[in-house]
Amino acid sequence: MLAGGPRWVAPALAVAAGYYLAARLGFVFTLQLQPVSTLWLPNALLLAVLVLARTRDWWWLLLAALPAHLFAELQSGVPSAMVLGWFVSNCSEALIGAALVRAFVAQPFRLDGFRNSGVLLFAAFGAPLASSFLDAALVRWIGWGETPYWELVGRRFFSNLLAQLTVVPLVVTWAALLAGGLPRLRAARCVEAALLGAGLLLVCLLVFGVPPPSAHFAPALFYAPLPFLLWAAVRFGPTGIASALPVMTVATIWGAVHGAGPFTAGTALENTLEMQLFLAAAAVPLILFAVALDERLRLERESRAQLTHLSRVATLGELSGGIAHELNQPLTAILSNAQAARHFLANKPGDSEMLREILDDIILADERAGHVIERLRAMFKRAETRHESLDMNALVREVTALAHGELTTRGVQVTLRLAERLPRVNGDRVQLQQVLLNLIMNGAQAMVACAPDERFLTITTLATGHKVHVNVTDRGHGFSVAPQKLFEAFYTTKQDGLGLGLSISHSIVTAHRGRLWAATRRGGGAAFLVTLPALAPA
Amino acid sequence: MNAASSVSVVDDDPLVLRAVGRLLHSVGLAVETYSSAQEFLARAGRGRPGCVVMDLSLPELNGLQLQQALCDAADSRPVVFISGQGSVPASVEAMKAGAVDFLVKPLNEGKFLSAVRAALEKDRAARARQAGQAAVLARLATLTMREGQVLRHVIAGKLNKQIAAELGTAEKTIKVHRARMMHKMGVGSVAELVRAWTLTQPLES
Repeated sequence: MLAGGPRWVAPALAVAAGYYLAARLGFVFTLQLQPVSTLWLPNALLLAVLVLARTRDWWWLLLAALPAHLFAELQSGVPSAMVLGWFVSNCSEALIGAALVRAFVAQPFRLDGFRNSGVLLFAAFGAPLASSFLDAALVRWIGWGETPYWELVGRRFFSNLLAQLTVVPLVVTWAALLAGGLPRLRAARCVEAALLGAGLLLVCLLVFGVPPPSAHFAPALFYAPLPFLLWAAVRFGPTGIASALPVMTVATIWGAVHGAGPFTAGTALENTLEMQLFLAAAAVPLILFAVALDERLRLERESRAQLTHLSRVATLGELSGGIAHELNQPLTAILSNAQAARHFLANKPGDSEMLREILDDIILADERAGHVIERLRAMFKRAETRHESLDMNALVREVTALAHGELTTRGVQVTLRLAERLPRVNGDRVQLQQVLLNLIMNGAQAMVACAPDERFLTITTLATGHKVHVNVTDRGHGFSVAPQKLFEAFYTTKQDGLGLGLSISHSIVTAHRGRLWAATRRGGGAAFLVTLPALAPA
Repeated sequence: MNAASSVSVVDDDPLVLRAVGRLLHSVGLAVETYSSAQEFLARAGRGRPGCVVMDLSLPELNGLQLQQALCDAADSRPVVFISGQGSVPASVEAMKAGAVDFLVKPLNEGKFLSAVRAALEKDRAARARQAGQAAVLARLATLTMREGQVLRHVIAGKLNKQIAAELGTAEKTIKVHRARMMHKMGVGSVAELVRAWTLTQPLES
């Protein structure tokens, strides 16, 4: 956004610049002696922009492309009527495609799920097809060149189809990625992406950038980039494949333009068509494959999140008695204070000091009830995983406060041994609270059979090296099975337990790149240790 | 109401403790507040007149245990339990151990205040009975052996003649013993004597 300018200035300038660059690239990707580019990118870029934009912004976005179009095309010596005619057909392509997408998919468009990707591929196919009839008709009407009508339709269609398949998924996936803020990638992930990109580029250059050893080898060479493309689709999803496909497309066409690669055997026209068909045929299934895989992973993630939430709600259900108590205390204080105030007013109305004290206490009590509700609401909310820098000591205090009522009712005495200057950890607050709550409740429940004065629960935090440890130790009945059995789903020793608490806690801690350990305590009881990587050493 | 009797409130939650204390104070009762069972046992002198209002789920030493501790210390102050959770077994146990009432928080003002007043009244009655009993026992201690024997027989409803026959003395002698006994006991009739005697007997439960 330009400082002080209207909000449409920056996008309009970006569209114009993008359109101009795409047009220049289109000229580069034109085979010698050919009037039609092998890969005409500007239309696809416009389509992608319209798909992402609001419908009421379409007109000025298209208008912004006009100067860029004129600037790019008029340099190439084309008659101005033709230049304007092409602008009309280019805009019509973008409009047809974007309207198709808008008709079937609500904003904002994302490349996920079969429906969305199917609609996008349909638009990428239908828009060039429909607009090519118009485009060829305009070319014949204006009388530019000698190419027959149907040949013009065909050539333009394939050129633009390939451009749509290359550009639109790329723009749409990256826009979605950047809309949510630049994701913080782990170093390993960046290295993997760099390796993948370098490998793909190298293979593409070797296959498409040097003359083939013999024409017989050509079909086999087509498969060489496939492992890298699959790698991109499997490991990096739709964004990965949408980024990898342009690399192959550009390398192939660049090779062909320079007379290298497998697409050099026939005439220029034959080579172009062959290349376009090959690239389009590779793109469609790979995009669908990546989307299908991504959707499955997402569903799995969602159902895991649901299960995590379910188990959290179940744990909170166990706490409900204690929470009712936590709310009941301030309510009691408020009511009794108010009633006392009424008596004071009736008996000695002049005592404003006493009334002030009462009101202060009522406010305190109300605030306390508010905190209980606040903590609860955070735990009940089905929130997306959100990582932030956390103080485990504070987390331990919050969770023990949440469980305070329940622990008091159960006669459990909690001792906190919190390390001073504990390094922070990176994690999801609610999920780590869930883990702690689970361990605390397990410990409390394990001590039901103990004598009331032996129900001790100790929570210790500790930092060693680059790790933060939280230890929850009870003096209950302990466990007699192998520790890893405790973390299996649906394993439970409680009569009405789901058997999910520890298993979900384990997966939460593992997802935080930490470990959850279980050990029996000497002298009876169990100890659970959560180890998480520290953000910065103490 | 006895000016010296006060209500001791025991609750670990300072907000609730202050609020309940204020409520009792606002209706003109003398109030002492304690934030734990230990503090109450240490500070509240035993045998003082009044009653105790305590939370059931106190940390470390809970309400029922504190009630037991009071019993063991022969502190007869009546107890009113207040609790966040109305657990049936706990309330049954509390009532069995002699609690005056078991009220669930938030407190119903009317029920709470009448429970506290009932507890204070119970304590006052018990103390009055105790005082009377002590006086009778003191008088009993002044009787000679023979006067004591006569007393038992009089209470059993026997005539002087029958008593004389049983104790093997003259009826005249018994008359003298009886008059002296009645005088020492400070009663004017057999009915009064029986009432005083009954005070010294353990209550039927």
